[in-house]
Amino acid sequence: MRQLKFSQALNEALHQEMERDEDVFVLGQDVGKMGGDFGVTKGLWKKYGEKRVIDTPLSEAAMLGLSNGAAFTGLRPVVEIMFADFITECFDQIVNNSAKAHYMFAGQLTAPIVLRTANGGGFRAAYHHSQNPEAWLMNIPGITVVAPSTPYEAKGLLTASIRSENPIVFFEHKMLYSTSGEVPEENYELPLGKAKVKKEGTDVTVIASMKMCEYALKAAKELEKEEISLEVIDPRTLVPFDKETIFDSVAKTNRLVVAYEAPKTGGYGAEIAGLVNDEMFEFLKAPVKRVASLDSPVAFSPKLEDHILPGYEEVLNGIKEVIDY
Amino acid sequence: MGLNVDKLKQMYYHMNLIRRFEEKVDEHSKKGDIPGFIHLSIGQEACQTGVMHVLTENDYKFPDHRSHGICLLSGSSKEKVMAEIFAKKTGLCEGKGGSMHIADVEVGNMGNNAIEGSITATSLGTAYASKYRDEDNVTAVFIGDGTCGRGELHESMNMAANLKVPLIYILVNNGYAISTRAEEAHSFPEHLSDRAAGYDMPSEVVDGNDVKKVYNAMERAVNRARNGEGPSMIELLTYRWQGHFSGDPASYRPGNEVEKWKEEKCPIKNLRSKLENKGVQAGTLDKLEEDALKEVEEMVEFALNSPEPDLEDATKYIYAEKYESMKEGE
Repeated sequence: MRQLKFSQALNEALHQEMERDEDVFVLGQDVGKMGGDFGVTKGLWKKYGEKRVIDTPLSEAAMLGLSNGAAFTGLRPVVEIMFADFITECFDQIVNNSAKAHYMFAGQLTAPIVLRTANGGGFRAAYHHSQNPEAWLMNIPGITVVAPSTPYEAKGLLTASIRSENPIVFFEHKMLYSTSGEVPEENYELPLGKAKVKKEGTDVTVIASMKMCEYALKAAKELEKEEISLEVIDPRTLVPFDKETIFDSVAKTNRLVVAYEAPKTGGYGAEIAGLVNDEMFEFLKAPVKRVASLDSPVAFSPKLEDHILPGYEEVLNGIKEVIDY
Repeated sequence: MGLNVDKLKQMYYHMNLIRRFEEKVDEHSKKGDIPGFIHLSIGQEACQTGVMHVLTENDYKFPDHRSHGICLLSGSSKEKVMAEIFAKKTGLCEGKGGSMHIADVEVGNMGNNAIEGSITATSLGTAYASKYRDEDNVTAVFIGDGTCGRGELHESMNMAANLKVPLIYILVNNGYAISTRAEEAHSFPEHLSDRAAGYDMPSEVVDGNDVKKVYNAMERAVNRARNGEGPSMIELLTYRWQGHFSGDPASYRPGNEVEKWKEEKCPIKNLRSKLENKGVQAGTLDKLEEDALKEVEEMVEFALNSPEPDLEDATKYIYAEKYESMKEGE
């Protein structure tokens, strides 16, 4: 099958959805003429014009406000927040309007927006261009948090997100943009709120999203040599979380590692550990292990960044700890 | 549309309706029948009435949190507005909204909001939607003098003017952001709305206690918006008679300031004397006042006799669409 880069897969989803539905429009900084900082909105401005592809000023609050208000009338905005760190600039709109409009007005309004944003370290871009703020969003009932790990999933999940009635924050790990994989040409949706078992196994369950998924799959290959069988699950949607798939896996393996790039404290791994502790305690043969960032800002020095953020080695060691417990 | 005597009489009725409504809400808030924070607009009735008489049900309205009158005059069932404030299931938002979060989308009330300034950003979107669909409805967003400190307002004004969307900012300047006067916390040449000039946006300042002047200014702004000439700001100079919230003694205000506004600049008295000068009988006006009170009393009865939400409503409407793996109640 045809190979596409992660960024191209996202771009194709946007092209196909804008073609399919004229209520879909795109806004963000440099998404028009330039085609987006990471090239995800390439070609849209030329094809659909400035009404449907808006180059905005540096005004994240107004961008999200415009998105919410337009969505209240039935339009389907896809807003690009160039770096996930900048979510702080529009947090009020997400927390107090996108997430609550449907609830506080008793279903009269919906905010079917998609906020796309680039997260994650590895670019040596430090404090304000490297964060993983998914846990900030997970504590807001009403928001759906999507986090793909492959080009195939990027396209299918973005398509589903655009078609969803719910407000969605869609994370794009910036170290994944140039990764390649098979992507069908036709448009398709992948289910939101549903995890994907990326590799079946029997000894340890590893939950890993975005960039961490790659490390988990690599660890699975490595540990096969020692006849250790990992089951690797990509949650794909962090909220709502697919408990069923994870619980079925833990019931089988009795061991769980959660790998995430955000600071360990209060991260989504902490939530999963809590859930498994509440409902699966009797199945566990070892404590749930969290492999995560140090509780530190993402430093500028490459040496420090690599020490702070979890990589392949940390994932592998975390898994071994659980096996040796 | 001109302002003939019949229209002014209707406005007189509406201004009385808002005042009686606010008085009753205040009374029942203090009695404990109404939960939460209540922000009253007694003294500001001309602002709400003048603006709402220009707008239609097709226009988008974003009331701020001192806007019961906007909700009342949007075309909603008025008893449902009251029931909402009483947190009753029969309210416009099934008791989930309350005084600070009332929407009635059918009549273009897109919901008030308890984060001052938040709706200035959101209102960009409905205004952009009108332009997107080439429709001639406009969006009106209500803000106070305190909101002029919010960054969202400035982001919104900049984008609205740049995109030329049909949006009207109604700056109800009632003199105080809780206890702080605008000149104590802001910097501006003469009026807060002078800032509009910086965004190449027309603005005007009018006496917010003169309902005719409010109406006329709003009509000019709406006409500009409907003609594709973009956003405007109108600043309505007014005064709130009571504290910031129901129960605030407002001791931060000097001497006889409140009495002076009540005596000299009551918007209802002003309109009454204008109507009497036009030959409307005192008895006719008294009757309108009585009818307004009666209508409000009926709203209170309805609210008092309505049921509270059911416990299972607590998790209703969190998601607009449930996903495959979600179970009921989650």
